[in-house]
Amino acid sequence: MRTTIAQYYPGDSPIHRLDARAKFVAVTALAVALFVRDSFAGLAVFAVAGAVAYVLSGVPAAWFWRAFRPLLWLVGLTFLAQILFAPAEDAFASWWIFHVSWQGLSFAAFLSLRLLVLVLIGSVLTLTTQPLALTDGLAWLGRPLRRLRVPTDELALMVTIALRFIPTLLVEVDQIMRAQRARGADFGSGGPVKRARALVPVLTPLFVLSFRRADELALAMEARCYRPGIVRTRLHPLKAGVADAVLLSVTAAVIAAGLLI
Amino acid sequence: MTAPDSSTSPAAGGAPEAGGGALEAAGRPAPLIEVRGLRYRYPGAGTEALAGLHLVVSAGEFVAVVGANGSGKSTLARLLGGLEKPASAARAVACGHDLLDDEGRMAARRDVGVLFQNPENQLVAECVEDDVAFGLENLGWTPQAMRVRVDAMLARFGLAELRRREPHLLSGGQKQRAALAGVLAIPRRVLVLDEPTAMLDPAGRAEVLQAALELRAEGLAIVYVTQEMDEVVAADRAIALEAGAVVYEGGVPGLFRDGSLVRRLGLGLPAAGELALELAARGWSISPLPLTTGDLLAALGEKR
Amino acid sequence: MSAVEPETRAHGSAPVHGMSLACRDVGFSYQEAQTPIAALREVSFELAAGRSLALLGASGSGKSTLLQVVRGLDLPETGEVLLDGAVAGAAGYDGLQKQVGLVFQTPELQLFASSAREDVAFGPSRLGWSEDEVAAAVDEALDLVDLPPDRFGERHPYALSGGEQRRLALAGVLAMRPRLLLLDEPFVSLDPATRRELARILARLRAAGVTLVLATHDVDLAWALCDELLLLDHGRVAAGGAWDLGDAGRDLLAASRLREPFLVELWRRLGRDPREAPRTYAEAAEALA
Repeated sequence: MRTTIAQYYPGDSPIHRLDARAKFVAVTALAVALFVRDSFAGLAVFAVAGAVAYVLSGVPAAWFWRAFRPLLWLVGLTFLAQILFAPAEDAFASWWIFHVSWQGLSFAAFLSLRLLVLVLIGSVLTLTTQPLALTDGLAWLGRPLRRLRVPTDELALMVTIALRFIPTLLVEVDQIMRAQRARGADFGSGGPVKRARALVPVLTPLFVLSFRRADELALAMEARCYRPGIVRTRLHPLKAGVADAVLLSVTAAVIAAGLLI
Repeated sequence: MTAPDSSTSPAAGGAPEAGGGALEAAGRPAPLIEVRGLRYRYPGAGTEALAGLHLVVSAGEFVAVVGANGSGKSTLARLLGGLEKPASAARAVACGHDLLDDEGRMAARRDVGVLFQNPENQLVAECVEDDVAFGLENLGWTPQAMRVRVDAMLARFGLAELRRREPHLLSGGQKQRAALAGVLAIPRRVLVLDEPTAMLDPAGRAEVLQAALELRAEGLAIVYVTQEMDEVVAADRAIALEAGAVVYEGGVPGLFRDGSLVRRLGLGLPAAGELALELAARGWSISPLPLTTGDLLAALGEKR
Repeated sequence: MSAVEPETRAHGSAPVHGMSLACRDVGFSYQEAQTPIAALREVSFELAAGRSLALLGASGSGKSTLLQVVRGLDLPETGEVLLDGAVAGAAGYDGLQKQVGLVFQTPELQLFASSAREDVAFGPSRLGWSEDEVAAAVDEALDLVDLPPDRFGERHPYALSGGEQRRLALAGVLAMRPRLLLLDEPFVSLDPATRRELARILARLRAAGVTLVLATHDVDLAWALCDELLLLDHGRVAAGGAWDLGDAGRDLLAASRLREPFLVELWRRLGRDPREAPRTYAEAAEALA
């Protein structure tokens, strides 16, 4: 069983080669800008920017679709909310408490499209940036927090380690569940309380396993000369270049256009 | 390169010292590990995990450490790697670093590598290549130097094609090889292995043992904690621990020949030895105790 | 100090009528990173009631998958599993499946309760037995694995040693009184003494009549404990049935990076017929003396 939360798609496109820090700043700025105005024209600018990034990234559409799919229910909910809460006066069709109006539909469409554009832009980041690069980049960006005694480098390492072990834990959870099922455990039936209690034979061993893992891993890391607070170099250091400056300028331009058009 | 083939009483504090001098007089290299009277107690524990242990290991030596569970083998491995602070010791030096001193222990962690039993709980990074580099990153190596060293380690342990593979997609043997590459990426003078093959299949076990033997040939000192008797046979010398003290130190054949010791410590024997014991119970006398199939065949051949 | 001695007296358990097992063209695959992996392909074999089978193969050859399909945790995509001649869907099949015990790799992972008795009772308490029956089965199982209930019953599983935990997990499965017992690499990570102890326990079960399937890479223990073998290679059956102790058999094992059993190799190198090689050191010593 293989799952990767971060969904990185290996490649060598211009987007892949951009510095993680620049990409993160660009995506964050675009995400914030998206929500400043409620304008279809502005949204179109951001959508075009996102589409260009998608094309340049060389990542197959199927991977983007996998990020969209879980959000379809949110889109449906948005439309439903509009239909439920639109004011009755502007409706062109009504039934009981449901009122459908052009205004409501158009607003629902706008909200949904904005959500999709947000996911598109965010996906470009996660699909083209390796998790380690992203955490390193965030740690670098967060460096000023060190003055507030926030251990940014250690946090970044913790995130990296957590990501590394998620697939392993999923396999182990599956293994433990199978072992208990082989003893007659039933995880599928009963109400929420019964199901929660049925998970005790899975969660308890998982906790014990994780604590032991933490001990052993810490020891192995110390044996390789790790200590909290040391300055670590990188096999793949972050290197910002001209392309990243271009990215940031283009992003600024897009944001300006999106806010002014 | 054989030490005296007899039990050494741990109380005889004089013997190891004389041994050290004798080693140098015999033209052997100065010891990389020198430990005398090593004591350690886990916080809150009633008994000592190590109760006055002596051990000397020189470059190019392969010492097997055996003993029942709880005899102190893993504790010894951790202390030699500078990962725990001894409670006390008359002498505790690893590669010239004093293990009783905080700075000495940190320095020891550079020269003494430790490979643990569970491959899964040693891999930290999201791909093999990054994990092998982890130790070097901690020591502040430049990216260029790291690239060279990491590539060399990947090539040496047959991991070049797996360099970007995620740990959970590796087999047990591959994981342990990756962990070993990561430990050895930092240039070491001593390698301590704490039951490194317990969770591996025969193929994986052979790979790890083979690597340890190659490193011994390159001049590292190898301290190999194991419960697999077939691996003990590969060692130059064996020490047996019981309740935190050394109850046997000497050649491997001597260890297995001491039947009461083997029983008391719950050690197995290599298959050939087990069969020889059964034959002995039926009136045959096969001496010295064979440890390999070849030895046994030779002994049986003589009986015919 | 010998290898496994088959015990003629069943220790603490009444004789059992073992279950017969057969697989007919069993196929199974799963997805990994969007690629389908064929874990089992056209696996067919038969194991008569009360017999013992060594399931051998390199890592990834499909041993664990086969055991889980036999137990019913996964349904075969093609082919069928027959328990006592009955196929999935036949009347009483579900009941038969409950009499198949599966001990996973590192089974200590399944320990979760606060006392040994409570953990062992997890399985039997889900079989619809009365409380008295469950308690009796629990104590019987603890006795069988040499963890006497009066000494170990109330101990916390996590306070036990590694070897004791392994035996406790085995007791959790034995308490369900399986007539077919499947074990996935039960000897891994054990010290020599516990390994010998576990082999003795399995020999007792075998002597009591339980059908055994033992997936292991310890070829010597497989030789001592199992009548027949099934060698898997990339999900296919490479060899099955009686141990093939000729050169072809040895080569097949070598292709899976397994050596032939020590006693077989010894017999071969002594110029004796390897097909006559004894199963235990005691028997070997008798034959040589």
